[in-house]
Amino acid sequence: MKKRIFKTYSLVILSGVLLLFTSRCAKQLEENPTDFVGPDNFYSTPSQIESAFAASMDVLFGGWTFYDWYRYPEIFDMEDHVFGGDLVINDGFGNDCWSKHYEAIADINPAIKALIDNQVTGASDQEKDELMAQARFLRAWNYFMLVRYYGDIPLITETTDVTKDEIIRNPISEVYDLIVNDLLFATQKLPAVWPAEGKARPAADAAKTLLAKVYITMATAPTNDVTNYAMARDMAKQVIDAGNYSLVPNVEDVFKLDKEFGPEFMWSFHNSQEEYVIEPQIWLPGDMAGGWGDIKTEKRWGEAYPEEPRKHAYLLLEDNIFGTGTTYLNWDESTPYVKKFVAESKENLEKNVSYQSFPIIRYADALLLFAEAENMASGGPTQAACDAVNQIVNRATGGVANPNDPLFTTSMTKTQFDDAIIQQRSLELCFEYDRWFDIQRKRILDKVTDPNFLPNFSVNDYLMPIPQKDLRLNLKLTQNPGYTDPTP
Amino acid sequence: MFPSHNSDSNCRVLRFSVLIGLMVFLPLSIYGTYSDPGASDLLTLQQIRISGTITDSNTGEPLAGVNIVLKGTIIGANTDNDGKFSLNVPNLTGTLQVSFIGYITQDIAIGGRTSISVSLVQEVQALSDVVVVGYGTVRKSDLTGSVSTVKPADLLQLPVQRVDQAIQGRTTGVYILNTDGSPGGNTMIRIRGNNSIQGGNDPLIIVDGLQGANLNQLNPNDIASMEILKDASATAIYGSRGANGVILITTKLGKLGKPVIDAGYNIGIQNLARKLPVMDAASFARYNNFYQSFGTANGAIPKYYFTEADIAYYEENGGTDWQDEIYRTGVMQNGNIAISGATDRLKYMVSTAYLDHQGILINSSYKRISLRANLAADITKWVDFGLNYSYTNEKYKSPPFNSQEGDVLFMPVEDAPRWAPTEPVYDENGNYWKHRPGYGAYDTWNPVATALETKIEHPTYQNNVNLFLNFKPVKGLSLKIMGGGTFSNSYKSKYQNTKTRNGYAQNGVGNVDNSFYNMYQNTNILTYDNTFGPHHITFTGGIEDIFSSSFGTSMEGVDFLVDQLGTDNMDGAKSVTVDSWRSKRALISFMGRVNYGLFDKYLLTLSYRADGSSVFGKNNKWGYFPSGSVAWRISQENFLKGSPVVTDLKLRVSYGITGNQGIDPYGSLAQLGSWFRYPYINGTNLNIGFGIAGIPNPNLKWETTAQSDIGVDVSLFKGRLTSTIDYYKKVTDDLLMGRELPGYVGVGNVIDNVGSIENQGIEILIGGDPLVGKFTWNTSFNITINRNKVLDLGPGTERIGWVPTSGGYSLADDYMFLEVGQPFGLMRGWKYLGLWRSDEDAEARSYGQLPGTPKYADLSGPEGVPDGYVDEFDKTIIGHGYPKFTWGFTNLLTWKGFELSALILGSQGNDLFNTLRIRRETYEATDPKVWNYWTPENQDTDIPAHYDGQWVQDQLLQNKYIFGTSSGTTSRWVEDASFARLKTITLAYNFEQKLLNKIGFSKTRVYFSGTNLLTLTKYSGYDPEIAAYPGNDATIGVDMSVYPISKMYTFGIDFTF
Repeated sequence: MKKRIFKTYSLVILSGVLLLFTSRCAKQLEENPTDFVGPDNFYSTPSQIESAFAASMDVLFGGWTFYDWYRYPEIFDMEDHVFGGDLVINDGFGNDCWSKHYEAIADINPAIKALIDNQVTGASDQEKDELMAQARFLRAWNYFMLVRYYGDIPLITETTDVTKDEIIRNPISEVYDLIVNDLLFATQKLPAVWPAEGKARPAADAAKTLLAKVYITMATAPTNDVTNYAMARDMAKQVIDAGNYSLVPNVEDVFKLDKEFGPEFMWSFHNSQEEYVIEPQIWLPGDMAGGWGDIKTEKRWGEAYPEEPRKHAYLLLEDNIFGTGTTYLNWDESTPYVKKFVAESKENLEKNVSYQSFPIIRYADALLLFAEAENMASGGPTQAACDAVNQIVNRATGGVANPNDPLFTTSMTKTQFDDAIIQQRSLELCFEYDRWFDIQRKRILDKVTDPNFLPNFSVNDYLMPIPQKDLRLNLKLTQNPGYTDPTP
Repeated sequence: MFPSHNSDSNCRVLRFSVLIGLMVFLPLSIYGTYSDPGASDLLTLQQIRISGTITDSNTGEPLAGVNIVLKGTIIGANTDNDGKFSLNVPNLTGTLQVSFIGYITQDIAIGGRTSISVSLVQEVQALSDVVVVGYGTVRKSDLTGSVSTVKPADLLQLPVQRVDQAIQGRTTGVYILNTDGSPGGNTMIRIRGNNSIQGGNDPLIIVDGLQGANLNQLNPNDIASMEILKDASATAIYGSRGANGVILITTKLGKLGKPVIDAGYNIGIQNLARKLPVMDAASFARYNNFYQSFGTANGAIPKYYFTEADIAYYEENGGTDWQDEIYRTGVMQNGNIAISGATDRLKYMVSTAYLDHQGILINSSYKRISLRANLAADITKWVDFGLNYSYTNEKYKSPPFNSQEGDVLFMPVEDAPRWAPTEPVYDENGNYWKHRPGYGAYDTWNPVATALETKIEHPTYQNNVNLFLNFKPVKGLSLKIMGGGTFSNSYKSKYQNTKTRNGYAQNGVGNVDNSFYNMYQNTNILTYDNTFGPHHITFTGGIEDIFSSSFGTSMEGVDFLVDQLGTDNMDGAKSVTVDSWRSKRALISFMGRVNYGLFDKYLLTLSYRADGSSVFGKNNKWGYFPSGSVAWRISQENFLKGSPVVTDLKLRVSYGITGNQGIDPYGSLAQLGSWFRYPYINGTNLNIGFGIAGIPNPNLKWETTAQSDIGVDVSLFKGRLTSTIDYYKKVTDDLLMGRELPGYVGVGNVIDNVGSIENQGIEILIGGDPLVGKFTWNTSFNITINRNKVLDLGPGTERIGWVPTSGGYSLADDYMFLEVGQPFGLMRGWKYLGLWRSDEDAEARSYGQLPGTPKYADLSGPEGVPDGYVDEFDKTIIGHGYPKFTWGFTNLLTWKGFELSALILGSQGNDLFNTLRIRRETYEATDPKVWNYWTPENQDTDIPAHYDGQWVQDQLLQNKYIFGTSSGTTSRWVEDASFARLKTITLAYNFEQKLLNKIGFSKTRVYFSGTNLLTLTKYSGYDPEIAAYPGNDATIGVDMSVYPISKMYTFGIDFTF
């Protein structure tokens, strides 16, 4: 009897205890992660703000992500410089470009918001201004890339709720308003020179050169607002007059590894010494360090490049590194390759390693922007315009008069000068994410492209397609002309 | 009574300590009150001796080890080697229960006799068998759900390292794919198709009640029973973890009688099952020169890499067969020993096993030591106690293969059949040779160097412990309290020294990953089972709490000062990056089930489970999973009772809801990623970037699978012929998936419940004993047909694509897809129609092609009609990665002591994307078939023609095949991978009992077996049964650098004494 009572008793207790425990522990279902942060408890110190900038750059240049593998901003494949630019631009073309730049913007916007909301502690007002100036510089640069690739685009700023479905494509003019305002702020608040330990950050001259480029782009197609030429000229002139930057004297040295922080490079994609993100084999033919030859020149353009020291500095015409004795005629497609970005040591090239930097803004560009804007704003070439661009020509030719790459003179007509400037940009800035935008703003694609591919040309090629995914998921977005819109 | 603060961990510690306290304290205190009368009873009652012999009814031979128990008591005995037994009973009025595995249990009334001999009848299909189901057992005859049982004897017929390999081909509804042939390699198990895209499709594996087991860590010899729960009626009791099916495994315990020692050893010799054909060095050199001679476009000068003298040299001296260099004869050894036994109140089994597998790829091996101790004790009449403990140590090693280990372009399996036979392994100084540039696979790395110089060490340690107390206070009622856990850790180090490709580039690359996983489970089950007249009712109710945490660190070091030290001295690396992580998850559940039977004819099962899971979004913390099923045993109806033909006939119908909670912890929360690295500040040193990585989803919840099943079980001619047939249909909704977000959001997707998938299928199992008597033949055939269909992928999404292969194969765009209306494993690309024929010259030229070049289907265009271009609009379905059906055919023939068993299995209708051919048959060809190239005289071939480059250019063709960088995405490389395979054939001999008795053994069996001896397939790669990307069910069907399977011959011996 005693036994039975004990059994019943123990059973009741046991069941009661278990039930009680289980109900008490329902709060176990709440999650409190300890190994990551969310946006709500972040962006409160200067280094946390700068970590957003680092992330925004890493998504664009971080190990076969995007700009570090030349092929990915696909539109550059369509330049007349690059082999295979067949002008076949389908609906999926450049989709990564869209999402990666917006991802970079999504990293920057919360930092801007935190600065506006005064969340950042432990920094002086000047430091906060400098942080804000960097943030707005980066955002402006991302939007400048996007607006040229796509035309009208959604403007996502720090106040936009991205999950709402009222997002539309804002007109180009609104996008440029944002870009110009951001860059004006940056030109005013960025320091003229960063201390050495922060030398990779953009300085005021980088912002000014970029803004000059923005103005010159607004002065040309598709907006064609020529009043911007004068503003472009003034902005570029400020950079030249400041004297913080200059050309590297010898054209052979422009892309040398020890020149990646100046005097000519103003702002670049950097490869860290701690982690290489590019395998230089993409630039090399099979005969050289087992190259893959992903990017090579269009033979027509490469062979027509004027014979001068610059040609041998920027184009790879023969193996003078590994001593196989082969010339470009032995290589795939028997066309010249690209040398700008293979300044690495022979040993590193053999190891598939490269710490090369890729300039986004370079002083040579400031000179060319000034010359172009000055000519157009003044109604014809001035001595100042000629002097600026001739610095580049003289360096390219080694000072030797070259009928194929002559010096600029004030006797040229406005149009001749302008055409020659665009041609000079083509020679100097080749493979630097630039030629396509010149082709686009000057509307010369049909004139420069390989005649074999001309049947594929259409004026619609000047803009890339809005990604199908965005069109499907947001019915308020419209497609660019000439591409498919998957929604009714 | 309890502390009032709200800490989770306190709460948990308290609960576990109280539980353990109860487990220790309660039985001890109760034992004290119980033991007095019991002891004297036992002493005084055992007086009269009964003896006898137990024989086989067919052969008349004595049976050793038969269990004889006086019913209702714990008095029992086992027969000796002559089949004789004796035991003491209190009186001669009771009933003896005589049972032996594989025979029908008999109840014999003593009826005053002291000498009793029984001949046991072999059971063909024992309906009285008890089947293990979720949180309980049922008689097989009472089962209303769809459950497959695999007999342990079947599992041991072929020498395997994991149990699931042994299930393959033996039962229905279970698709087993050996994803690779590596030692310790993994298996993909899918029960009734693929339900999920991102939530995982692995079934829940439960060993002795402990959830979430890993089959690689289980010694196959320890298994006593294995059931596979397939329909919702069987799995809904597992709620949010039941949707992918459940595999229940029970391990062995000893049987009453003297201790028995089982020991076994086998050794297997393995070789590459199939070698890919390659040209010899001279032929390769000649072909390369031939190929180069056409390279004249754009005024190029053909470059010949081999001189006539080189070729003459190769003719005389041969070259390198790279496959011979990296593959070897593998050896697999297996040893196991177990001691088991039982006394009146205690059953036990202790086992240990050792597996040593040296794989066929050089520098690959797998070793496993396992230990198990099982214990069950009756503490009192109404309390028993049990313990299951197991320890497993695995050591895994292999050169990198398939996608999980990095870039496929630098893996020996992939590179060996591509490396030019003209290249030596070593140079004259004994250094690894580098492929000469310009021809062959020069962009990859010496396969022997990669294989030998990548140092991988990957041990794992796992402890499982499981304790239970079972209270039976009144008849029919029991309360089982179980507490247990899994504690494992794994260490993985990989050092690529300077002789490997990555190590060369970065002066040594070392990775070390350390991870820990702890799981605690508390399950409390109350069962009430009783019969009231014709009503038989079983009620099961339970509360369960599972908590797990995992944490770990990972390190990568590059630029090592001392190459020899590698990962054992990470300090020696100039640059080290470290990461650490931690996550927790909790699951709290309430469940209940009622089984009701009326007249043993009409059966009903209802179950219900409520799961609260920490990983669900905060608005959806609880999920509810009901199921119901009915069965009708038609054979119990009067019109069939006693029928000479129909022994048993049962019709089953079930419906239920199960779930899948395969969400990573914190998946519903907003997240910033800290993995971004960019030298933003000084351009040289990396800065840590925190970037947007996830947006929150408070509504996130489980996937819901609604499954209906209708099945029939038939047994004819007293079980000589049996069959089970099931039809099922499952619809899974609220799929856990990244819901696509517009690109401007900055995050590609957010994990959400979108989309829907359907699986329906038919399973047929027919088994029988065509021959009984001295010569027996037991056979079984099964076939599983599963039709899988994606119903919905979320608003606006017609298909989702993957490009599983990385660079070097011209496969830059997606080619594996999930598409609405189509099954998993869908391949899309351009349809290859063979080579253009001579008489199609004009048409070929209209596409910019020439006769003898590949022809692709122009199916559509921007206007929906063929437009003269083959481009994005012309991509179509070019293959299916999953079979239309799979089948298995088992046979066991016995004669005297001989046993011959054979398992043949197959898969029909699945394709493989044979990526390796893209390189082996094109410009760097090593496959000898490239000599059979197209000419106007030889048009019946798939190898394209060769044309002079300059001549082609002069034709001024305008190419209208717009493939971009995805020219490999065509059906030219897709092959039918259907196969039929003699998986295993085993000849065994059981030594005669009389002979063995002299040396004190009770059973000795020797066997010789062959595995993978014969495979019939049209597939031209290493093997048709592989998966290069097993991590994603949608990408099954791609062959890329997978460790190939081997043929194996095994000799083994088993003893019992």
